[in-house]
Amino acid sequence: MEKRVNITIDGVHIRAPEHTSVLDTAIEFGICIPHLCHYPGVPDIGACRLCIVENVVRGKPRVTTSCTLKVREGMEIHTNTDRIQQLRKNVAEMLVAEAPNSKAVQDVAVRCGVTDVPYKFHNEECVLCGRCVRVCNDVWQAKALGFVGRGRDRHVAFPFEKKPDFCKHCESCVDLCPMNRTPCPGPMKKGEEFVCGQCESQLSMAEDVDDSCVWCRLGDGFGCTRKVQAQ
Amino acid sequence: MCPESVEQVLTRYNDSRRCLVEVLQDIQDREGYLPEEAIRRVAERLDVPLIEVYRVANFYKSFTLRPRGKHVLTVCKGTACHVRGADRLLDELRGQLQIESGETTEDGQFTVEAVNCVGACALGPVVVVDGEYHGHMTPHKLRGLVASLQES
Repeated sequence: MEKRVNITIDGVHIRAPEHTSVLDTAIEFGICIPHLCHYPGVPDIGACRLCIVENVVRGKPRVTTSCTLKVREGMEIHTNTDRIQQLRKNVAEMLVAEAPNSKAVQDVAVRCGVTDVPYKFHNEECVLCGRCVRVCNDVWQAKALGFVGRGRDRHVAFPFEKKPDFCKHCESCVDLCPMNRTPCPGPMKKGEEFVCGQCESQLSMAEDVDDSCVWCRLGDGFGCTRKVQAQ
Repeated sequence: MCPESVEQVLTRYNDSRRCLVEVLQDIQDREGYLPEEAIRRVAERLDVPLIEVYRVANFYKSFTLRPRGKHVLTVCKGTACHVRGADRLLDELRGQLQIESGETTEDGQFTVEAVNCVGACALGPVVVVDGEYHGHMTPHKLRGLVASLQES
C-alpha cells in the first residue's frame, strides 16, 4: 500500500499520499486553490504564483507556492488567510494587466476577487506560465521549445526562433496554452479591457452561496476537479 | 565558418556537457560570434538538447548570435559609469554611427554594446574598444577614438 502522511489543510486533517504536492492533495480533497500554470501530469515550477499558501514552520507562517511544496508529515497549511487572499489578488491583478484578453486569466482572476485592475494593461500574448515548455520538454521529451532570454526579454521560443524538424507536431503546447481559451464575450478591444460582466456575475454567486465554486470553466482547460464534482 | 575549429574545441573538452559554457566561449573567441551551425554541432556532440544550448547562448550577454563588426565598442553602464555620464557616451555613438546598442553598422566596421559592469569602476566612465580599456572617457575623446578607428 502506498505510504501516506498526515497533514492539515485549513484545519482539515488529511492523509495525503507521499511525494505529492500540496496543491494536488488539496484539489484531490476538494479544497480549491486557484492556479494557472499547474496542469495535471506536468511537472510544476511555480511560475504563476497564484497557488500560494501559508506553510506554518515552527509557528511561523511562510508563504510559498503549493504546487512546488511536497507534503510532509505534520504539515500545517492555510490556503485562504487574509494575507494570502491579498497577495493572491495582487498576483492575479498583475496577470490580468499582462494579458487582459485571456479568458483563462480573467476567470482565475475573478476567483481571486479581482474586479478592478490598478495596473497598466500590457496586452501580452504570453504570461510565461511555461505549460507549453514543460509539456514539450518533460512530458513528451521533444525538447523543441524553451524559455529564451532573461528578465524583460524572457520569452518562449524554438531554437533560432523557427520550428525545428524534431518537433513532434503534437500541438500539446497549443492545447495547454491558457491564452488559447476563447476570450470573454464583450468589448475586449485594445484599450477597453476590463473583467467582463459574465465573470463578475459568477463571482457574486460564489459570495452568496456557501461552498460554491465559481464556475470558472477551469474544468475545461485546467482539470479543476471541483468543477467535475459540482456537476 | 570553419567547421574544423568547432570540432577541435569540442575534442579539447572531451565532449563533456559540463563544459558547455567554456565550449561556447572558445567558439565565440575563434569566430567572433556563435554561428547557427556551430550551435547545432555543439548540441549534437555534447548530447545536450538544442534548445538548451540556444538558451545558454541567449542568456549570457557575452555571447552573440550575429556576426559582430570589426571593432567592438563596449560601453559600461554600471553604477559608477552611469553617474559619470555613460549615457552621454552612448548618445555620442548613436549620433556618430547611427546605430543603437547591440547593433552593428551596415559596413560591418563597428558594433556598439552596453554592458552592466566591466569591473573598472575607478576609471569610469569606461569604454572597452576591442578588449582595450579606455577610462575617464568623454564624448569628445570618444569621437576622436572612433575617428581614428575609422581611418585605420
